[in-house]
Amino acid sequence: MNELGLLENMLVVGALLFGIGLVGLCARRNMIVMFLSAELMLQGVSVSLVGWSRFHNDWGGQMLVIFIIAVAACEAAIALALLVTLFADRGSLDVTLWQSLREDNLPPHVDIEVPEPTDEEPHWPTLTPAGNQPRVDAEKQRHRTHV
Amino acid sequence: MSDPLANIRTLLVLVPALPLLAAVVTAVLGPRVLKSRAHWPVVLGLGLSAIVALMLLAEVNRHSRNMAHDSKLAATGHVTLWRWTGIPDVLATPPAAAAAMEKAHTTPPRMLPFDVDVTLRVDPLTALMLSMVTFVSFLVAIYAVGYMHGDRSYWRFFAYVGLFVFSMTMLVLVSNFLLLYVFWEAVGMCSYLLIGFWYQKPEAAAAGKKAFLVNRVGDFGFALGIFLIWITYGTLNFHDTTLSSGGVLPGVLGQIRLGDASLYVPGGLATAICLLLLVGACGKSAQFPLHVWLPDAMEGPTPVSALIHAATMVTAGVYMIVRCTPLFGASPQAQQVVAIIGGLTALLAAIIAVTQTDLKRILAYSTISQLGYMFLGLGTGSMLGISAGMFHLLTHAFFKALLFLGAGSVMHALGGVIDLRQFSGLRRKMPVTCWTFLIGCLALAGVLPFAGFWSKDRILAAVHERAHAVVAGYHSSFPVYEWLYWVAIGTAFLTAFYTFRAFFLAFCGPERVPAAAHPHESPNTMTLPLAILAAFAAGIGLTLEAGSWFDSFLAESPSLAALAAHETGPAGSHLHVAVLSTVVVLIGIGLAAFFYLGERTQIDRLAMWLRPVYEASHRKLWFDEVYDLLIVGPLRILAYLLSLVDRFLIDGLVNLIGRLPVWLGAVLRPTQNGLLQSYALAMAIGVLVLLGTLVLF
Repeated sequence: MNELGLLENMLVVGALLFGIGLVGLCARRNMIVMFLSAELMLQGVSVSLVGWSRFHNDWGGQMLVIFIIAVAACEAAIALALLVTLFADRGSLDVTLWQSLREDNLPPHVDIEVPEPTDEEPHWPTLTPAGNQPRVDAEKQRHRTHV
Repeated sequence: MSDPLANIRTLLVLVPALPLLAAVVTAVLGPRVLKSRAHWPVVLGLGLSAIVALMLLAEVNRHSRNMAHDSKLAATGHVTLWRWTGIPDVLATPPAAAAAMEKAHTTPPRMLPFDVDVTLRVDPLTALMLSMVTFVSFLVAIYAVGYMHGDRSYWRFFAYVGLFVFSMTMLVLVSNFLLLYVFWEAVGMCSYLLIGFWYQKPEAAAAGKKAFLVNRVGDFGFALGIFLIWITYGTLNFHDTTLSSGGVLPGVLGQIRLGDASLYVPGGLATAICLLLLVGACGKSAQFPLHVWLPDAMEGPTPVSALIHAATMVTAGVYMIVRCTPLFGASPQAQQVVAIIGGLTALLAAIIAVTQTDLKRILAYSTISQLGYMFLGLGTGSMLGISAGMFHLLTHAFFKALLFLGAGSVMHALGGVIDLRQFSGLRRKMPVTCWTFLIGCLALAGVLPFAGFWSKDRILAAVHERAHAVVAGYHSSFPVYEWLYWVAIGTAFLTAFYTFRAFFLAFCGPERVPAAAHPHESPNTMTLPLAILAAFAAGIGLTLEAGSWFDSFLAESPSLAALAAHETGPAGSHLHVAVLSTVVVLIGIGLAAFFYLGERTQIDRLAMWLRPVYEASHRKLWFDEVYDLLIVGPLRILAYLLSLVDRFLIDGLVNLIGRLPVWLGAVLRPTQNGLLQSYALAMAIGVLVLLGTLVLF
């Protein structure tokens, strides 16, 4: 494989990682997942850095990536500590619970509410059984409803 | 001494400087340091100023005697303090273009020169005015020490008085129409401040406003007159100015113009200038139809009424017309208007004064009436008439100040009561006030040896002479001056009547005072000025009349010298005028004695019998009502409409501009929702946009 093709592949992987991370960051509300997405974006950038470094035959980019990984590790430690405190504060990690920096006279943003988990058995639609009745494991069935 | 006028020049600057210094010292130190001693700087300053002014008078007199006839016009000292502005007579178009235009027979647009020198000058007219102003002010200031004693803003009063005397002396000293206007306004402002001195009293505040507004009407005319003078004569300086280019710019009242009367523009333009100046003089000197402010001005402290609204400020109009005599000389029609206004005012004010019951108001109307006499004298346009007007101005200043201070003394004794219906027979309680007031009354009425007789008699004689004189270039089918002569005689009768009516009501008859008052003779600081003024009121007329020093001295004034040279010989004997006026005055006094000494039953019957006349006089000929209806009312409606425009249109626009950013902000506000992810999204979109533009362009 020639060098240009390799660079292209690495840049595509980096861009994919960055894009997936960006979408995750914007779309997910759980702060840990958001943090993971941010890490993903970081790694996307790192991959492209490695690609360019190799393309230019210069170790600087790879050195930088090693530093990025080290810094990301520290950052992860701090972020997790923050998340623990935030969880202790609100009992949840839903990011919409922290929106006090909005304009004074704006109403709080309410996202689509996640329905509260209920203990009662959901009513599943049933079809007229045909053929052999599959063997239903009650424990498994219960678990599925919670996914 | 190398410069014979050096003395005069020093004195000239000192006269206004001393009151100004006193006013500043009082204003700065008064409220904290001087307190109840706040009168000292002003009394001292005015006293010194009066001495300086008298020295100046003597010096000017000495000089004008020494001068040969040819250089009489030069008998005037100038001090140019600084040149405020000197825009030379330049062509607005470049010279080359101007030459081309002249070839094409069109006149290039020319800019007029605009020179304003801050120049003080003195001549006999100014010296006389200065002496009178500073001397009377000095006496009034001494009087005010007693009268204003214990007032809350004692220092403020004296600071204003000092400022007023400064403005008034500058008004008569300056040698430029613009500066004349400036100090004209300055005395008006002092008058406003002093009328409204007790501004907590609504009447006083309203009277101050009224005086200020009515004066604005006159000042507007005066300003227009000054513009017209500038356009016509190209300068506002009285004196001739040496230009930087070496030429001499003839001043409006400078020696070049005075030497040659043909340099004054005749005809309609001259009449327009003079009438506009007359409007200004009418405002300041309270002449019909702008006289309505003076009676209300009596709400101010009495020393102010005496000083500003009787003796000095109101004579500014008379002074201005005398100063502009050459201008008025170019327009006999304007002089006739001056005489008519004067005569009419004298008569109307005298009619109103007859039935007033407020002592100060009677004196105010009599001031208007006497100023009318002065205007009448000036309106004759002869040297005799003008010097008679000035003579009357001087004598009137003394006896009217005396009368006002006497009235103030009465007010002081009765705790502020001045209504003649509430007291009588004060002669035993207040002998000094009574006797000095009597002397003032005799002078005002014009009884033989007293001051008023001589000056009033002169005016009557001048009008009489004018009525029978043939004036070149002036023909009238209607004997205006003949009529005015009889108007003046009638006014003399009314003056005698109302003066002695007031005297008899206040000082004669049974002793009767308001219940709350404890009448007593005023303190020495008040009676001393009364005595001095009484001496002047009694003697100054005879002193000045004897030896005809006054006429010849006044005639040395540059403005009047040309006129005086034209006058042929001494004024003819006017014994019959004197006899007639004396008889009329004695009848007036006799009638007053008949009606008001004793039972006073006849007067009610007379008032019933002359009901309409009495009512008209008592209601001041409905001047205030008519002005309210014709001027104040429509203006109020206009003001209301304009306030609506202001409130809804202008304020609406302003509020709209204020609301606009709020609305714009409301559009953008939802973006600041405090959600982390929306900010992240915005950042991502921003990066995308940047990248997009980078790729596309």
